[in-house]
Order: sequence, then structure tokens, then C-alpha cells
Amino acid sequence: MALKWRHLFALLAVFGLFTATACGSDGGGGVSGGYKIGLVTDTGKVDDKSFNQSAWEGAEKGAADIPASATATYIETEESKDYGNNIQLFLDDGAKIIVTVGFGLGEATIEAAKANPDVMFIGVDQWQNEALPNLAGLMFPEANAGFMAGALAGMLTETNIVGAVLGTDLVPPVVFFKEGWENGARYTNPGVETISTYHPGGLDVAFGDPEWGATTSRQALDQGADVIFGAGGATGNGALIEVAGEAGALCVGVDQDQWFTVPEAHPCLVTSAMKLIDVGVSELIAQAYAGTMEGGNYFGEVGLAPFHDFDGVVTSEMRATLEEVMAGLEDGSINPMP
Amino acid sequence: MSRSILRSVAVPLAAVILGLLIGAILIVSQNASPITAYSSLLQGGLGDGDALLRTLQKATPLIFGGLAVAFAFKAGLFNIGGQGQLLVGAVFAAAVGFGVDGLPMFIHLPAALIAGALAGAIWGGIAGALKATTGAHEVIVTIMLNFVGGNLTDWLSANPWKDNSGNNIVARTPLVEDSATIPTFGAIPVGFLLAVLTAAGCWMILERTTYGFEVRSVGQNRNAAHYAGIKVGWIMASTMAVAGMLAALGGAVESLGVDGRFEAGVNVGLGFEGITIALLARANPLGVIPAALLVGLMEAGASRMQFKAGVAPELIDVIQALILFFVAAPMIVRWLLRMRQGDSEQLRLGAGWGNS
Repeated sequence: MALKWRHLFALLAVFGLFTATACGSDGGGGVSGGYKIGLVTDTGKVDDKSFNQSAWEGAEKGAADIPASATATYIETEESKDYGNNIQLFLDDGAKIIVTVGFGLGEATIEAAKANPDVMFIGVDQWQNEALPNLAGLMFPEANAGFMAGALAGMLTETNIVGAVLGTDLVPPVVFFKEGWENGARYTNPGVETISTYHPGGLDVAFGDPEWGATTSRQALDQGADVIFGAGGATGNGALIEVAGEAGALCVGVDQDQWFTVPEAHPCLVTSAMKLIDVGVSELIAQAYAGTMEGGNYFGEVGLAPFHDFDGVVTSEMRATLEEVMAGLEDGSINPMP
Repeated sequence: MSRSILRSVAVPLAAVILGLLIGAILIVSQNASPITAYSSLLQGGLGDGDALLRTLQKATPLIFGGLAVAFAFKAGLFNIGGQGQLLVGAVFAAAVGFGVDGLPMFIHLPAALIAGALAGAIWGGIAGALKATTGAHEVIVTIMLNFVGGNLTDWLSANPWKDNSGNNIVARTPLVEDSATIPTFGAIPVGFLLAVLTAAGCWMILERTTYGFEVRSVGQNRNAAHYAGIKVGWIMASTMAVAGMLAALGGAVESLGVDGRFEAGVNVGLGFEGITIALLARANPLGVIPAALLVGLMEAGASRMQFKAGVAPELIDVIQALILFFVAAPMIVRWLLRMRQGDSEQLRLGAGWGNS
């Protein structure tokens, strides 16, 4: 009896290996010739429903849009110590454009850009202090996005209290979101009270703590807030999901249209303060291919996501005000962070 | 002799092969080729000088972390505090590394390493002393100290020891001075050599000294050791201090040899991997070296595997888990290999839980 089972197992293993060899020719090695575009994620996955995913969608679109037959491939970073190594894998492979996603890869990207002047680099969320000709930092006016979301919240709140549950204040974009949000709410509702809380932990935990996000948004709800902005990766998502369980309370997502990324938040999600990362990345890839990309900082677009189920809640007056706000932010007559 | 070595190696080796085979099946199910995947994994970990360097760099803290668990285990203690010990070691080594200048390397570098080691010894020693004096279970205390260590090092690197150069906003220390940087000879990081020497030292202490004998006696039967006149409390406290020191050295080498500084969040999870390594090595200090090399190789090659074969790097975690499963459940492997019972090097995972 024992013998039989052992044989079966051995057979299974051998079978596994053979199938393996058989599929070997077409399965792997997706990287071939042609124009190569590489993307290195931050310590996250390309399907993280957040900025890595947006950037990857942008890279795929960018590769499809340029005239040459281009292939885009990605490497997901497992450990932040590997940023440089992962960029190097694309360099060794002859990639022409390399997209690195996230603030954390900033230094590794600058180093690689200096060492490889012929390769174009796009750094998402990476502020460039000094412009390198072959490195564009894709930045977003988060304060504007926060301001628009806040302006809407100021009009929607019935208790005149709005809350924000945020990732860490160590990262400037989060601070910009928060300041914009508060100022936007005050712009449409001067008497509004704002309760904003940053995650107290370091960069390693601040964006990955949904429990803290939920508890903190619960506190804001208990203090009377009825519109809550969740901005900070999984931490913010935790806040949104908590608000979804509170009847009558509303929530606002961040970065992407979170209607699609956090379906649990449907009962409360009015809109999301979006950074159009995919549009920015594909636009920069097109520029890099055409040779018109300029080094330094490139500002992408921001905007509010559609209202989905809450289309009827946002009245035409509110929409008119939002349009004024948007126009004001664009022509500079409104300063989101005075 | 050779037969007993063969026996102790057979189960882990079979476990590795089984893990890789099942991994191959998983790769096939993702429509990728295991041959391409494993060969690119090997290439990414051993293919050239850079690859070898990466593997050795990854293996170094794993050796220290594995030793930290294995050493405590010999005294029947579960050191789950490797993460906290590693972090305090990393931050204090970095602090001496950047905070002092003008010293020659042969003083500065050892001083930085010792600072890290001492911090870890204190961190581990707290758990050991509490166990010895109050009976507080070391598993609970070390787990809690991981949180304390994580937050303490976050705070230290974000406040008093923060890097204020440029417009840095990240919680990290400045770069350590050159005189405190662990050098690399070609593809061989000196930190790795240090780790191997430390492993050999641990083996010597455990197998060839009176202290080691006392540690093992306490591990095998605390009451018998007590009646034999061994100071059980002192052995437990000091063993935990040594274990903490070992994990902390891993962190110190990361700060001084790999990262060049301490940065909050960069060493996340590194200290926990020691548990994996110690299990894989079956708590043998010398076995820790090949176990760490294997895991280090897989981690170093994972990016290349994804790049060349399109296999998600998490597969490495799955393979590691499978290997561990087969190591921890040696019955399955024995049955497959038709090995006989009576393998004296059984790793008893239950020891230490109930019998305090």
C-alpha cells in the first residue's frame, strides 16, 4: 500500500516536470526584442488597486500608443533594498524607458538616471530637486484634488463637521491632500469644523493599517462628522469601509476612482480625489519616445471621480460651485494652500 | 559520523526537493516554464559577481537571525523577538556609525558593531530576565518587545537621529562614516564572513564548553538541570541575551554593510525570517549557514525570475513555506524516503510551551 502511494507521488512529480518542460517554449520569457519599457513597482503589486496599478495601466497604454512595436514589462519589488537591483535588471535588458513607481524609489532612480544618460526615466511621485535631462518626476497638485473634494464635502455635510483619516504626514502629498481638503471645505462652508488625523506610525506601517483607519474614522463619526475623507492606501480604505457601515454618513476616496477598487465602500462613497497617474505615465512615455520629454518635474492632472450612486445627492447648484472651484484652481484665483 | 550527518541532512534536503517540485507544478499552472523560472532564479542568485553578492548579502542577516532562534532553542526557549532585536541593533550600530567621526576603522567599525550587539543583548536579556525571575513567557515578552523596538527605532530615526540633509522627510539616520562601513571584497561582503564565523562560534560554545553544556541541559530538562546544580535562571537570562545579541548583529551588519544607514521600514520582517532559517536548520548552528544561503539565493533571484519567466515573486514564499512544512512534518518525508524512526536529532517543537 505504502509503496503504491509513494509511486503515485513520484509519478506526479515526474509528470509535473515533464509538463513543465513541454510548456517551456512558449510560457516564459515574455521579454523579447523591440522597444522595451520597464516598470518597477514600490513594495506592492501591480494589481494593488492604487498607484502601482494606475502606473502600470499607464505604461501598458503608453506602450500600445507609441508607433514602434513596444513591450512593457514589470517587476514587483519585494523589499525596498532591491530598488536599485530591479532597475538594473531592465537596464541590462536594454530597456529604453523605465518607469519607477513611488516616492521610495526616488534616490535609486536618480542614481540610475545619472549612470545611464541614454535611458529615459519616469519617476511617479518623485520630486526632482535638480533637473536631470533624462528623468521626469510625475507629480500631482494633490492640494487641488483635496480642495475640490473638500469643497464638495463642505456642501454635503449636514452636521457641519467633516473628517479626514490620513496616512503619514511624513509624505508631502498626503499633507497636500489634507490641507486642500480642509481649505476646500471652508471655502464652501466657512463655519465647518474639520477633524483630521494622521497615522502616527512610520512609513512602513502608515499606509497599511486598515484597523487604525477604521477606529479613527469611527472616532470622527462619534464626534459628529458625516463626510469622511480616507487618504492613505489600505489605512484610508479601512476608514472608507468603516464609514460604509454608518447609515447616512458619506466618504471620499483617494488617488483612483475607489468605486472600483473598494466595492465595500459603495454605501458611502460619493467621489474620490483622483490623481490621473495612468494618463500622466502614458503621456510621459509618448514624450520620451518622441524625444520631447523634459527633465525635472511634470505635473499630471487631478480631478473628482464620478458620483456613481450619489449622482442624485449632488445637486446642480453643487455641481455649478464645483465647476467654479475647478476653474478658480486652474486659473490660480483660488489658492488651495494659502 | 558520516552516517549521522547524512541522516540529519536527508530530511531538509528532501524537503527542499519536494518544495521545488511542487513549486514547479504551481509555475506550470501559471502557464510559465519551471525550467526558465528556476534557471533565471539561479542566474539571479549566482549568475555573476553581482548576483552572488546579492545572495550573500541577503543570507547574512538570515544567518544571524537563524542563530538567534537556534541558540535560544537549545535552552528550550523560543525567541520570537528577532525583529525587535535586529531593529535596535541596526539603529544603535548606525548611531555610532554616523555619530562619531575621526576614529580609525579598526576602532570605529568594531565599536559600532558592539553598540548594536549590546543593544540587542539588552533587548533579548529583558525577556530572559523576566522569564527567569517572574516566569513571564518569553514568547509573549519577545513578541511585545518587537513592537516596542519597532516604535522606538522609528522614533529615534525620525527625531534625535534623523537625517536632516537636503529636504529629506524619511525617518532615517544620516549615512554612516566610511570608517564604520563594512567593506566588500569583490563579491564577498565581509559581513557574511562575520556571520559564518559567528555561526562556528555558536557551535563551539554550545558543543564544546561547559556553558554550552549547561544551556543544552536546561533545554533538555530544566528540573534535572536544576538538581544537577545548574543555575537555570542565569542560563535562561544569559541565553536570551546572547540570542538578542546575535539578531542585533544581523541588524548592525545591515546598517553598516548593506544600507549604509538605518531607515525605518527597510528591515521589515527580516527578523522574523530567522525562525524559518532555524527550523530549516533544525536548530543546528552550522546548519543555519546552508539554510540561510538557500533562502538568500531564492530571495536574490526572485526579481529575475519574475522578469524572465513572468512568475510572481511570491512563489518564493510559497516554496519556502512548503519546504518548512516538510521539515516540520518529517513524517511525510521519512515515509517517502522510507527512512526508519530513531533519528536522534528530532526537533521537538512542543518543548518549552507547557513545562515551565
